[in-house]
Amino acid sequence: MSSITDFITNLGAPVVLPILIFVFALVLGQRPGRAFRSALLIGIGFVGIGLVITLLIEQIGPAAEGMAERLDVDLNVIDVGWPSTSAIAFGSQVGAFVIPVGLAVNIVLLAVGLTRTLDIDLWNYWHIAFTGALVAIVTDSILWGFAAAAIHMVILLALADWSAPWIQEYYNFPGISLPHGTSAPYVVLAIPLNWVFDRIPVVRDWKADPEAIQRRFGIFGESIILGLVLGILLGILGGLSVTGILQLGVNLAAVMLLLPRMVAILMEGLIPISEAAREFVQRRFPGRNLYIGLDSAIAVGAPAVIATALLMVPITLLIAIILPGNRVLPFGDLATMPFIVCMMVPIFKGNIFRSVVAGAIAIAGGLYIATWISPTFTQAARNVNFQAPGNATQLSSLVDGANPFTGVFYGVAQAPLIGLPLLGVAALLFAWWVSRRKPEEPATPEGEPRPEEPERASEPEEPRVPTGT
Amino acid sequence: MGERKRILIVCGTGIATSTVVAQKVREYCEAQGFEVTIDQAKVMETLRGVDDYDLVISTTQLPSSVSTPSVNGLPFLTGMGVDQTLEEIRQRLQARA
Repeated sequence: MSSITDFITNLGAPVVLPILIFVFALVLGQRPGRAFRSALLIGIGFVGIGLVITLLIEQIGPAAEGMAERLDVDLNVIDVGWPSTSAIAFGSQVGAFVIPVGLAVNIVLLAVGLTRTLDIDLWNYWHIAFTGALVAIVTDSILWGFAAAAIHMVILLALADWSAPWIQEYYNFPGISLPHGTSAPYVVLAIPLNWVFDRIPVVRDWKADPEAIQRRFGIFGESIILGLVLGILLGILGGLSVTGILQLGVNLAAVMLLLPRMVAILMEGLIPISEAAREFVQRRFPGRNLYIGLDSAIAVGAPAVIATALLMVPITLLIAIILPGNRVLPFGDLATMPFIVCMMVPIFKGNIFRSVVAGAIAIAGGLYIATWISPTFTQAARNVNFQAPGNATQLSSLVDGANPFTGVFYGVAQAPLIGLPLLGVAALLFAWWVSRRKPEEPATPEGEPRPEEPERASEPEEPRVPTGT
Repeated sequence: MGERKRILIVCGTGIATSTVVAQKVREYCEAQGFEVTIDQAKVMETLRGVDDYDLVISTTQLPSSVSTPSVNGLPFLTGMGVDQTLEEIRQRLQARA
C-alpha cells in the first residue's frame, strides 16, 4: 500500500491530476478524445507554472538578498501570485477531489435550507482546496484537510448569502451571489468598519472620484509595466549591476504576463469538467429560488473597484516595507487587488476612501498571515513540484496566502482535534443565522443584468438599514 | 461572409470567466459560419480604451474609455438568457459586415 502511495507521490501533480481529471471527465460523460486532451492540458499548465515560478525565484532571489544585506529590508518570502496558488491548491491531494466534495457540501446545505447559493463557479473551488491542503500538511492528515475544505465551503456560502443584497443592488446582479474565497471574507471586515465610518464626523463625508484616479494611476493596472518598474526598482535597491537591473526588469515583466497565461492553459483543461458538473447540478435544481454563485471577477470592472485597486498597489508595497516583522515581498498578486476589495466596495457604497482604508487594514493583517504560513506554503508548492531553488527563499501569496480565513484555518490546524470541530460548529451556526434573516428581494427586478449602470458612488450617503431582522 | 471580425472578451482576470465565454462564443461563431478572431483581456488593461476590435463581450463593467460596441457576457456564466445574448452577438457582427 505504501509503495503505491510513494509511486503516486513520485509521479507528481502534473501526471496524477491529468489522470484523475480524465477519469472524472469520462464519468461525467465526456468523449474520451476530448477528455484526454483536457487532462493533458492540465498537466501542461502545471509544467508551465512551474517553469515561470522557477524563473521568478531565480531572478528575484539575488535582488532580495542584496536588499537584505544593504538595506536591512528582509523580504525573502516571494509572493508567487494566485495563478501559482490555485495550481498548488488543485494539485494537492485535497484539490484532486475538491470539486465533488465542495458540490456535495453545497447540495446538502441547499437541501436543509442553510444556504440559498448554488456555487457553479467550480474553478474557484481552489480556495477551499488551498486551505484544505495547508491543513492536511500541518496535521499530516488528508481527512482533516477535507474537513477544512468542507467547513470553508460552508463559510463561503454563508458569506455569499449574507452579502448578496449589497452585491445585487450595487452591481445590479439580480439573483447572483459571490461565494468567492478571496473576496467574500473581507465582507466581515467591511460591515463593522462601515458602521464605524458612519459615526466619525467629517471623515464620514470623505470621498474620491474614481474617474480621476483611473486617469492618474492607470499605470498600476498594466501588469507588464508594473513588473518592469518593480524589477528595475528591486534591482537598484538590491545593488545589482546595470545589466542585472535591466534584465531583472524585463524578466519580471515576463513573469507578470506569463504566469496568468500558464494558468489559462490549466483552466482550459478544467472547463469541460466544470461545465459538465455545472449542467449536472443546474439540471437538478431547476426553478428554485436560488442565488447563482459566480466568480467575483464579474464585479471587478466597476469604476470604484478599479480605482481602489489601483491605489492599493503602491499602498501594499509601502506597507510591506514598513510593517515590522513582515517578510513577504508583494509581487504576483499586485495585479489581483481588485479581488480583495470588490466585495467591500458595495458595502461602502462605492466610497473609495473607505475602501482604500479597509484594503490597507486587510493587507497589513494579511501580510502577517502570509509570512506566518510561508513554510507550509513552500511545502505545498514543493508537493506539486514547484521548487524554490536554494533554501534562502520561501513562497507565499496575497491571494489567498494573506486571507483572513487562511489564517483562521492555519491556526486551528495547530490543534485540529479541538479546533476543526469547533470551527465546523461555528460555521454551521453562522450559516443558520444568515439563513434565518429574510433577504431582500433583488432591488431592481425589472433591470437587465447590465454591468454598465451600477455606479452609485455619487448618491447621497444614508445609513444602511440592516436587511432583515 | 465578409472579412474576419475581431472580438475581445473582457473579464476581471482576463482568464477565468473570459475563457468560459470565449469557448462558447467561438463554438457559436463556428456553427454560424462567422470568421472571427477572439482575444481575451482583463478589464484593467482596457482603461486606455480598446481599438481595432469589432465587438467587446464583457462579464464585468467596462470603463467609459471603451467606445467599441459591447455585449454583456454574464448570461454565459449563469446559463440563463444565453440565446438572446447569442442573437445580440449575431446582430452586432452582421451590422458591421
